[in-house]
Amino acid sequence: MPKVTVFLCDCFGEIGKVIDLESIRKRFNADPAVDGVTITESLCLASDVERALSAIHDRGIGKVLIGACSPYGRMEFVRLGLVKKGAELRHVRTVDLREGCAWIHRKDPEGAFRKAASQLDMELALLQNMQDSKDITVRLQQETLVIGAGPAGLSAACGLARLGFRVHLVERGSAPGGLLNIISQAYPGGESGSEKIGLRLEEVSRNHHISFYGKTRVVSVKGQAGDFKVTLAGPEGKTGLRVGAIVLATGARILFPQGLHGYGKLKNVITQMEMERQFSTGKPACRTAVFIQCVGARNIDRPYCSTICCPLSLKNAMRIIDEIPGAKAYVLHRDIMTPGSILEAYYRKALEKGVQFIRFDAARPPGVLGEGQVGEVQVFDAISGVTRTIETDLVVLSTPLIADPESAALARMLEIPVDKYGFFAEVYPNHPVETLNDGIFICGTARWPVSSDQAIAQGEAAAMKAASFLGKKMVSALAMSRMPDQKVGHASVNSDACTGCGNCMAVCPYGACRLQRMGNRSVSRVIKIRCKACGNCVSVCPNGAMQMPELNDRAVCQMIRRAFREVR
Amino acid sequence: MGGGISGISAALDLAAAGQHVHLVDNGFDLGGIVARLDKYYPTDHCAFCTLWAEIRRCKENPSIFVHTLARVESLEKNHHVFQAVILKLAPVIDPELCIFCGRCKDACPRGAARPIWEHAYPPFYIIDRDRCGDCRSCADVCPTKAIDFDREEARFQVPVDEVIWSAGFSEVSLEPLKEYGWGTHPDIMTSLEFEAWKAEAGENRGTILRHSNKAVPRNIAFIQCAGARDLKFLPHCSAVCCMHALKQAQWVRRRNPAIDCVILYTDLRTVGRDYYGYAIRAIEGKGVRAVRGRPSLIYPLPGSDGIAVKFEDTLTQTREIWKFDMVILNGNLQPTIPALPRGYAVPTLATEGRVTRLFESYGHIMTPAHVTESAVHASSAALRSIMEGKK
Repeated sequence: MPKVTVFLCDCFGEIGKVIDLESIRKRFNADPAVDGVTITESLCLASDVERALSAIHDRGIGKVLIGACSPYGRMEFVRLGLVKKGAELRHVRTVDLREGCAWIHRKDPEGAFRKAASQLDMELALLQNMQDSKDITVRLQQETLVIGAGPAGLSAACGLARLGFRVHLVERGSAPGGLLNIISQAYPGGESGSEKIGLRLEEVSRNHHISFYGKTRVVSVKGQAGDFKVTLAGPEGKTGLRVGAIVLATGARILFPQGLHGYGKLKNVITQMEMERQFSTGKPACRTAVFIQCVGARNIDRPYCSTICCPLSLKNAMRIIDEIPGAKAYVLHRDIMTPGSILEAYYRKALEKGVQFIRFDAARPPGVLGEGQVGEVQVFDAISGVTRTIETDLVVLSTPLIADPESAALARMLEIPVDKYGFFAEVYPNHPVETLNDGIFICGTARWPVSSDQAIAQGEAAAMKAASFLGKKMVSALAMSRMPDQKVGHASVNSDACTGCGNCMAVCPYGACRLQRMGNRSVSRVIKIRCKACGNCVSVCPNGAMQMPELNDRAVCQMIRRAFREVR
Repeated sequence: MGGGISGISAALDLAAAGQHVHLVDNGFDLGGIVARLDKYYPTDHCAFCTLWAEIRRCKENPSIFVHTLARVESLEKNHHVFQAVILKLAPVIDPELCIFCGRCKDACPRGAARPIWEHAYPPFYIIDRDRCGDCRSCADVCPTKAIDFDREEARFQVPVDEVIWSAGFSEVSLEPLKEYGWGTHPDIMTSLEFEAWKAEAGENRGTILRHSNKAVPRNIAFIQCAGARDLKFLPHCSAVCCMHALKQAQWVRRRNPAIDCVILYTDLRTVGRDYYGYAIRAIEGKGVRAVRGRPSLIYPLPGSDGIAVKFEDTLTQTREIWKFDMVILNGNLQPTIPALPRGYAVPTLATEGRVTRLFESYGHIMTPAHVTESAVHASSAALRSIMEGKK
């Protein structure tokens, strides 16, 4: 067993003035597992690491234990410095002697000493008993799959193709375009849907890196980041693909407001999307249009704001005023959701054009009255405190985007989580297009309701993330970490002890544990690329079959034993 | 240009795609506004922790050249290549050498040496030149010789193919808007001032106290759109303030449920994943009160009797004057727009492809944006600049 080299940093007296480092040195020098203890004035400044290493360099660097400052501070750079000199990152452990012992227990040097010695002792036990995970390296497939050919999917496909990746673009409809096919004009620029994505549509048909599959669905996805095996079912039967990354841009559906505000009963009560169709083919016939916001949204069933309905209503209200001489437009709203500079200016423009805004209270929604046909809308104006009656011949209901009914099945197939409203969930707000399953990226309204501009930006972001992942060409399982350095290891199964109970599968957030047939029984298997070394599986395994080699049971028990050993 | 959340994300993406990146920030360290925040919505996690790993990744990446305390002095395009002149100011305390022992702080008679941010890691001290009396006693006690008052600024030129502007936003002084009373009383603070004041790692270790006399406040008013959505001042909506106020108000209630928190809003804009749910949880779950109204006058009462806020509750049509112990002003944020050569404009989402491009821009500068949107814009700008380079 290689011995452990110990470095104790005095930090220019910051540690030494509280903790007697010399006693610690003597203590550990006596330990047979330790190969020399060096006290240095500092470890983190320019040439400190080299100087410290010069003592041991001829023997090569084995395992190193450092007692210095917080691992969240400069110690990380010291560890990386040692790695550059040939150490293995997981064989370099640090103990926080400065912030965690000397500073916080400044007034109790005795206690600080005991804590420091105990912690060093524990880490020493860990280093001694640590086993090494077997790392694997996989080659990343350089092809990509984009599911959904709306604005987000198109921009992702074009981005990836431009960066030189082969793209398979799958669309369940017959033509690309997504929700933009319905929209007559995009806000706030006023371009038509085809103008908005025209260049990208052209690129899809022209760029030989992109294959477009219309009327095609993804029926199965197997494998993991870097090597997914995908089966598509289309008009020409089934196609098999091997791709390195998948961009999910499957879009959303629009809530159908059956039974709300007279929809379905009264003629001339239409949805925003029906109005878009009317504008696509001509213009709606009306003298007065009333837009009702938050229909079926921001309520107990769907407590979220769908983002795009306020600007869409502003746009259509302005079009009514612009295109039908003498027509009036009212927007009945709860909060006008036009954040930012561009949309706020858009709202102001609507005000200037004479669109009337009436704020209503969620508890007193507007009433749409009429027989067979809309006659009037009654609304309690929350700002003036009076009930107003608007004679109207057209009511437009703004309904929210809702998660696509197929999203849930796709999410299960791809092993990514959805949020409580059914939209695909990102891994963290800082990483908005990445998911818990590496190699799978989400964008557009499948992720959360967004404008077409935002969907395009998200598509590009997803393409960028996929490209930077695949650009590595080869990746080792230990490097598949979200933290700056590598992960400590990955779980591994002792197949002889595994009973195939499946507990590990149930608790793994990353889908890394799988049951596999072995002879006449099933045993668990860990997909190393997916494992993030969280240790959930180890803690639920009833037989100790699942182990993290770096933090195996023996090492942890030794650590605990030393934690409670008396320090003198 | 700009090392906040957007700049960091774009730099990491570009580096991963094999590009070399110069990341220029005028602050002492990377991180921008997010690193200064105590908490971060919608998760209520420590804001710095989420960024910590990424800042380190930038610093460790051999393809990213980080220039802090630096700015781009000039930028000229010649034959498709920009010549960027970067001016790097010299810090008095070299962050590479500072071990955060605090001896300079103890030695300084004027309190000029202070940690960059209380919660940032790895931490280092900086010298506040406005307070510094130039006695240089700190330099004598520094064990690592990190303190040197005679370092010289450096100016160097780098050729670059693409420029990405991610300078984010800056606070605009509310001094000209007398009705908000900013500057007349220590208990009238902007929301970023309050964020630092209430920080877990801050002066009061997270206890919510009045700024004037360190007493526990009975109530706090959060004034939305202070200076924003105002044709006389900032016409735009700053987009992030509603969530920021909700975050602060619910955090105050969580820390001390005895403090009454009132948000005076115009429209409660909660656009984003589960932001509306966050608002509902703050209002119904934590008892934050949301009142629709915009103050016409805010003024300190004599003595330490609190701050009067005069407004109309527009949903009950009643005129009110309420007394608060603290008033937090939200909304005075403005994108940091670069001075551009004639004929160029900063592209925004709405003008994609229709302006003469000089910069890719993203993050708060493009349109006021949350962290999530900023990160999206960052990656998208990174992709566009690579595609531009491949043309």
